[in-house]
Amino acid sequence: MSTEIEELEELDLSKFFDRPWVTIVWDDPVNLQSYVTYVFIKLFGFSKEKAHELMMKVHTEGKAVVSAGSREAMENDVQRLHEHGLWATLQREDHG
Amino acid sequence: MGEFKGSSASGDLTVALSNDELHILINLVEQLLELLGERNFAHHYQSDDPFAQLMAAQMMNMEPLSAPEDPVLNRLLPNAYADPDAADEFRKYTEPRLRQIKQQHLMYLREQLIFPVDHELPKADIAITDAQQWLIAINDVRLALAVRLDVNSESFDAFELMPDTDPQKSLFAVYFWLGGIQEKLLDHI
Repeated sequence: MSTEIEELEELDLSKFFDRPWVTIVWDDPVNLQSYVTYVFIKLFGFSKEKAHELMMKVHTEGKAVVSAGSREAMENDVQRLHEHGLWATLQREDHG
Repeated sequence: MGEFKGSSASGDLTVALSNDELHILINLVEQLLELLGERNFAHHYQSDDPFAQLMAAQMMNMEPLSAPEDPVLNRLLPNAYADPDAADEFRKYTEPRLRQIKQQHLMYLREQLIFPVDHELPKADIAITDAQQWLIAINDVRLALAVRLDVNSESFDAFELMPDTDPQKSLFAVYFWLGGIQEKLLDHI
């Protein structure tokens, strides 16, 4: 008798197929580049280089994913970004 | 404009502002506080009055909250979801708190903006006891002004070409001045 099946039944497939949520920061013509970098460091603990890189991505591509995880965690991130005046939304991760 | 002295780390950071600059900044902060105070239910949640609590509880069960019509409020309290239904549902639970936090930052900044006792002084050293709150409050003031002025990436060039007689020129000047303050403040955090 195989024991693998019993072990497999405990496998949660959603872990492999459920798309996580992401927080997106959108470009706006007002927020200073230095301020956006500062907020990324403060809220997400990024290094200065990583924060600067993400800020430039927002600036040049119009948006950037700044965090990924559960819906609840992303709602919290969006709320904190709004507190700091950044324009942010959350959505399911886009594979397309 | 806006000379900074001291440092945030040693707790003696100040910015030198003229009476005119103080006047302008106080006006902007107070206008924004007034605007944020509209449609504000947050105070009901802390009320001891049973009737107010009941009303607040009903509001929580109410319809989802749609985005504010005022473009400034819409920028400061933006949708969290691209989907309007999800955004309204989220807003119902979060907007009062977001509003309250923004009001706290602005009220803090307002309290810091004190005219010097000696009016003859060309500039007053304004204490910045909490540089992070200062920064966020100034940023919200700038965002509000930018919405009213319809600022875009070409605005600085347009500003430089604007004749001094243009009534919007002084407002643009304040907007860019605030950006300078913010930039210097970031260097001191």
